[in-house]
Amino acid sequence: MSDNRIEGYARALFEIARAEGTIDEVEDELFRLARTLESSDALRNALTDEKIPVARREGIVEDLLGGKATGTTVQLVSMVVAGGRGRDLPAIVDRLVQRASSAKQLEVAEVRSAVELTADQQTRLAAALANATGKQVNLKVVVDPSVLGGIVATVGDTVIDGSIRTRLDNVKGRL
Amino acid sequence: MSLFSILANDPAQTHSWLLPENAEIIYGGIASVLVIGGLVKFAFPQFTKFLNARTERIQKELDASASDLSTAQTDAAGIRQALGDIAGERARLLADANTQAAAVLTDGRARLTVEIAELEARATADIETAAARGSDELRAEIGRVASIAVDAVLPSVLDGATQQALVENFISKVGASR
Repeated sequence: MSDNRIEGYARALFEIARAEGTIDEVEDELFRLARTLESSDALRNALTDEKIPVARREGIVEDLLGGKATGTTVQLVSMVVAGGRGRDLPAIVDRLVQRASSAKQLEVAEVRSAVELTADQQTRLAAALANATGKQVNLKVVVDPSVLGGIVATVGDTVIDGSIRTRLDNVKGRL
Repeated sequence: MSLFSILANDPAQTHSWLLPENAEIIYGGIASVLVIGGLVKFAFPQFTKFLNARTERIQKELDASASDLSTAQTDAAGIRQALGDIAGERARLLADANTQAAAVLTDGRARLTVEIAELEARATADIETAAARGSDELRAEIGRVASIAVDAVLPSVLDGATQQALVENFISKVGASR
């Protein structure tokens, strides 16, 4: 998919979510879905396989997000999947998140943690990252068991890695 | 009185028993002179020629003998010289052979020394490489076993409290990092 088309989809989703007044929730839910898509080959194949009828793929989205995400998010994802752009959903969502963050003059901070972070932890972590980078951040938390423990935070080009996985890899490398 | 007169006066004989008649003497004398003259004229030159030829032939034989002797002596000297040269050549060849053998021996010893040194160096390097490889393999094996052990043990070590502690530790460190 071309860069312009991804940007067009991202802009459309952003405008719809903003018009619905649910941009923060939609942005957050789409971000989580995008990361889930990246880590799950089965889900990605199910949503991008052209041999599966569109109605069936929309049903998968309903089953996956129904009751767990806002209606706007479900409708937007269904729209993208029905349009045959499921494969580009992570890229579209990333552009959407960037656009939403830019609208709020925030920098996207992607945080990967082995466990869920509490609201308080997210608030303190956002403040800490803002202090460390000098930028106000839009925190996006992804639960990623592969980090084993600790956190990996990415703000723009800056990566702050405090994960057990990386320490373990370093130890293995030295061994 | 002369003898001829006494003999001629023998009264028993009309002619001397010893001396021929004068005419016979004359004729005989003339004949003798003729024979002797003929001999001197014809036979003596032939005889002289024969003797000269014989002398010349003998001289030639003597000269040839002398020449043969000289040749034989020259040949003998040549042979003796050749024998001397052969002995000298033999000595020279033996000396050359000894020199070359000594050189070959020296070169061989030097080359063997170098080859032995190279073999020793190569063997030492091989041993060191093998030791390093063994050490690397041992290190890799330790790493692999440690990795397996860590992967097996880590989930039980990283309980909820530890996870929260890791998160809090990260937040604290990042917050204090500027």
